[in-house]
Amino acid sequence: MESSDASMEVAVASSDPKSSSLPPKPSFAPLKAQDMYDGRVQFRKVSVPPHRYSPLKKSWMDIYTPVYEQMKIDIRMNLKSRKVELKTRADTPDVSNLQKCADFVQAFMMGFDVIDAIALLRLDELYLESFEIKDVKTLKGEHLSRAIGRLSGKGGKTKFAIENATKTRIVIADTKIHILGSFANIKVARNSLCSLILGSPAGKVYSKLRVVTSRLAERF
Amino acid sequence: MSTDDPACLDILRRLKSTDPPLWLAPNPSLSQQARTASLGLFSSLKPYTPQSPLDRLLIDGFDAEQIWQQIELQSHPLLSFLQREVKRFEKSGEISRFLAEEPQMKDILREAEDDQGRKEEEDVDGFDEDEAGASEDLDDDDEEEDGAEEEEKEDRDEVGDESESESGEEGDKGGIEDGFLKIKELEEYLQKDEAKKYGLEGSGKKKAGNKERRGIDEDESSEEGEEDDGDDDDEPGGFGVDDDEEEIENARYEDFFGGKRKKARRKPKVKDGSEEDVSEEEDGDDTENENEQGNHNLSTHEKELLSMKSKIEQMEKANLEPKTWTMQGEVTAAKRPKNSALEVDLDFEHNARPAPVITEEVTASLEDLIRKRIMEAHFDDVEKPPSLPGKGPREIKELDENKSKKGLAEIYEDEYAQKASLISAPSSFSDEQKKEATLLFKKLCLKLDALSHFHFAPKPVIEDMSIQANVPALAMEEIAPLAVSDAAMLAPEEVFSGKGNVKDESELTQADRKRRRAKKKRIHKAEEAKRMTTKSKLRTMPNPDEGKED
Repeated sequence: MESSDASMEVAVASSDPKSSSLPPKPSFAPLKAQDMYDGRVQFRKVSVPPHRYSPLKKSWMDIYTPVYEQMKIDIRMNLKSRKVELKTRADTPDVSNLQKCADFVQAFMMGFDVIDAIALLRLDELYLESFEIKDVKTLKGEHLSRAIGRLSGKGGKTKFAIENATKTRIVIADTKIHILGSFANIKVARNSLCSLILGSPAGKVYSKLRVVTSRLAERF
Repeated sequence: MSTDDPACLDILRRLKSTDPPLWLAPNPSLSQQARTASLGLFSSLKPYTPQSPLDRLLIDGFDAEQIWQQIELQSHPLLSFLQREVKRFEKSGEISRFLAEEPQMKDILREAEDDQGRKEEEDVDGFDEDEAGASEDLDDDDEEEDGAEEEEKEDRDEVGDESESESGEEGDKGGIEDGFLKIKELEEYLQKDEAKKYGLEGSGKKKAGNKERRGIDEDESSEEGEEDDGDDDDEPGGFGVDDDEEEIENARYEDFFGGKRKKARRKPKVKDGSEEDVSEEEDGDDTENENEQGNHNLSTHEKELLSMKSKIEQMEKANLEPKTWTMQGEVTAAKRPKNSALEVDLDFEHNARPAPVITEEVTASLEDLIRKRIMEAHFDDVEKPPSLPGKGPREIKELDENKSKKGLAEIYEDEYAQKASLISAPSSFSDEQKKEATLLFKKLCLKLDALSHFHFAPKPVIEDMSIQANVPALAMEEIAPLAVSDAAMLAPEEVFSGKGNVKDESELTQADRKRRRAKKKRIHKAEEAKRMTTKSKLRTMPNPDEGKED
């Protein structure tokens, strides 16, 4: 054993002088957006649903300005294909800008307001979540209509209450529900919405909301 | 030893001659003599009783009772025989001839008749009494005739009666009868009463008839002095079991207890005085004994006995049969007849109090109570218990149900800013109000606290830029309304503008006073001197305004 160790040591000792002759570690600068894909241009295409067509037309400038000016992403509307196309420019600072802009446009297409969707551009940790009513509970006909009514409340007050309490934005599109917000807030909003779908009255949901949001606020 | 024996006769004579009072006290010599006399008599009678078990009277070592019973044993069969003989004698009419010849016997007969009459009226009910009396008489007769006496007679309570009867004759009851009390009438009355009671007039008379007969027999057989019929009645078993005896017994029993038609017949015959059919009736009685049932003329006692008998039979039969269902233990519905429980009064234990019967009074009382309570307004309402104090009202966070005016981005922006503490948290509407309220309250508290020094709380330190005068802290902190307190801001030594040891007027010594006076004078002088010089200076100075007009 000793003899083998000695030989191993000898081997190690011999390798040491070799390591000094290795080239230094390469240091790479962060890739630019262009360099990431080897200088190719990235595209994103977001389809426009028919009911968002006219709102898009109305608030096109509000969308275009932050995307083009601040995000440095090219944006254009393809009328023929009814799609919004986004393209990276040469001076796009970050590779994620394109994605962010795409999400922003997507959010607008889902039904969110521009001012709410803008938050996606500004904050990293905001997410979109979508689910359907049938994912929660199979409802048909009148029950479904009533569930939707429960979700929104009278004049949308229930929805607004949830939005304000959880700092999220909710869009109820027929049977689809989209929530925009941070992760924890999305969870709380989702729970409240699910309980509403399942049939609990609004008052109960409010009381739960109060408890939860106070707890959330305390944490920070 | 027999009566023929002169010794025996001598003894008898001696016994007879003894004074009656001597018999009252127990006398061993007299008793011995009486025993020997009875022994003699017994042996003399022996040939007439062939069936008697005793050969001679056993005296030695036997007490009175035993001797008496021995005599009885001998005399029982004799008695019946003698009675029959006497009857026969009577019937045959020899007695009348005999009587006619001897006047002595006439007297005896008359007495006998009287006695017989008396005995007719003897009480039927008081058998024992009568029989006792009769037995007494007989015993007395016994004594008289035979001179034999038993010690037990001496022990009896009826010594007085004995002596009386001894002294008197058979017919006379001693001193019992007098002008007021007639035994005959008494007997008649008692019989009538009985008849009424039992409704059987014949029975009483029958018994009377029996008594009559016996009485006559007694009279006839007085010589022998044998036991009475009464004794026989008392001892129905009897000692000498003889056919004649039985017959006589049965006859007598029937006379009393058995209802016989012939008794009715006997009655008038007895009354007439002819006793020819007596023996026939006796025989008839014997026959009637066997055919006792089905006779209407039963005595009350017999009837009672019959009814009891029938009852006994009934009860025995019932006992043999199975009991009624009520008497059995646990009985199910199947074991008893249908609806039989309804007829029986069943007893249950009711554990619950029975429901109160609602009467008008009950309802009236209840209504009165209700009215009274209403007037007093004294209701038994359930009052909520007072909630514990000390728990402040919980803050209810209001949920805004309106569309938020800020965009989502702005909200997160504000949140971030708050976190980074760049901008203070925007107070909600309720906060503003709260702040205003707290401010006002604090102002008020301040004012109130100032009113009372002891519970003063200092002004809260508000972080704001304010110029602070460099004055001693006391001046800053102590806030006292000037109107109330005249405490100076400064301390006395700060106020005091003097130096050295300050003395009060009273503390001054003479030297001090002098010094002060001297000082005062000096100061005054110095001031005057100054004034003088200024005045003079002013006078000498030219007036610039002199010469000007206006």
